[in-house]
Amino acid sequence: MTDQQDLIYLDYAASTPVDPRVVEAMTALMTDAGNYANPSSTHVAGRRSVERIARAAEQLAGLLNTDADNLIWTSGATESDNLAILGAAQYRQDRGRHLITMRTEHKAVTDPFSALEKQGFEVTWLDPEASGVLDVASLEAALRQDTQLVSVMHVNNETGVIQDIEQIGTACHERDVLFHVDAAQSVGKLPVDLEALPVDLMSMTAHKVYGPKGIGALYIANRPGVHVDPLLFGGGQQRRLRPGTLPAQQIVGFGAAAEIARSRMSDDIEHLSALRDRFWSGIRDLPGVMLNGAIKHSFPGILNVSIEDIEGESLLLALEPLCVATGSACNSQNQEPSYVLRALGRSDALAQSAIRFSFGRPTRVDHIDIAIERYCSAIAKLRGIAPERAA
Amino acid sequence: MSTDPYSANVRELFDAPAHAGCLEGAPSASAEDQGVRIRLCADVSQGEIRTLRFQAWGCPHVIAAAEAFCAGYERRPASALLEFSATDLMESLSVPVEKTGRILVIEDAVRSLGGVVRGASKPDE
Repeated sequence: MTDQQDLIYLDYAASTPVDPRVVEAMTALMTDAGNYANPSSTHVAGRRSVERIARAAEQLAGLLNTDADNLIWTSGATESDNLAILGAAQYRQDRGRHLITMRTEHKAVTDPFSALEKQGFEVTWLDPEASGVLDVASLEAALRQDTQLVSVMHVNNETGVIQDIEQIGTACHERDVLFHVDAAQSVGKLPVDLEALPVDLMSMTAHKVYGPKGIGALYIANRPGVHVDPLLFGGGQQRRLRPGTLPAQQIVGFGAAAEIARSRMSDDIEHLSALRDRFWSGIRDLPGVMLNGAIKHSFPGILNVSIEDIEGESLLLALEPLCVATGSACNSQNQEPSYVLRALGRSDALAQSAIRFSFGRPTRVDHIDIAIERYCSAIAKLRGIAPERAA
Repeated sequence: MSTDPYSANVRELFDAPAHAGCLEGAPSASAEDQGVRIRLCADVSQGEIRTLRFQAWGCPHVIAAAEAFCAGYERRPASALLEFSATDLMESLSVPVEKTGRILVIEDAVRSLGGVVRGASKPDE
């Protein structure tokens, strides 16, 4: 195994380190001197805890340009997606039982839709274009009188492709259809203005944006017809939509991370764009290398590349000490080719050779140069020992 | 608990496959299945394997197993190729059971090579 200090972490789409300022804010809440009390308690200490949570909600709301009352705390984006999709489908099922999503969504979205199919809902699964982008005309064609919910992610976790959620949301709202966005890869990384966007439900998480794991949020727009049925029961917290003792230190961490993200977003984007472009320039001339997802429509923190006639598992090992992903992190134990890349039209072999490089605030230019060198030498090594294909 | 899917042995053999390559004009055999491609070459003299080389396309266990085979069968009688079994390799490299099929492709290639070598060493009739 490679020593920790030798690792070059290029998997920021899977998770990010917690910003030291976030750690400081969280730690202050976890000790005797902090406001560790249960926020459901009515005594002074409990009320102080409530105030800290309210402050964090304001910080997150400020990042998203929305009202803090529109945010529900969850354990992460997976729970937010489940609450949004299952909760909205159940709440509106008397109006209709047709739902729409994309084949390239995260499992946290596709699995709840599959569960709803088993309950008798009808789901239309849209394919993207080869670029990874959804053709809004295909969505419009799929919308029906009984359609109740559309779910499309903002930034794809495997390819980084950005969907035009403004255009998609407009198409939904013209037909009074709820629009849910899985924004786990975009909140805190790209501008998200919920005052301006036609979005009803948005899922997000802290740990993709230098906050702690175990805390996320669901935005629920304050407009008629937008509501979700709860999935959990057991208390009156959060308007009974998501009961349970609020993890104040996690929430404060998310708030702090959101405020930091807001203050440096344009610098982050510039930094990531420079790194992504440098990396792609360094490998793009390798024979048979290709991008998965159109770079002009992509978040600059993610670059997904396939290469012809290379075995993916061997490539991953040959790339060590780079920490990169094949498919999504949630899918990395699975030897099946990525369903996201298959939906983009990639063959099994090309999908299996795909590596997702994702960059973050701590990534330096010398990390990129080492990554270029490792990728090129790994390809040369594996091609050097491979036999010719049988004619 | 180790979370590393590869044993130290596999890592070492994969990192430095000293027997990767081919021997021009030497007897060779290939096998392809289970998403694995393997080609083996042998320089045999007086019934003894002098040099072995492999080319492989597959996962790290396949490459490590091919390297381990080549390293372990040089200086052995050519007839040993016909009796080769992948079981020992699987154990020594801690190959996960779900990859058995891939390692058996190597076994196929080795036995095929044994047949080629035996045929090549028979005097012309």
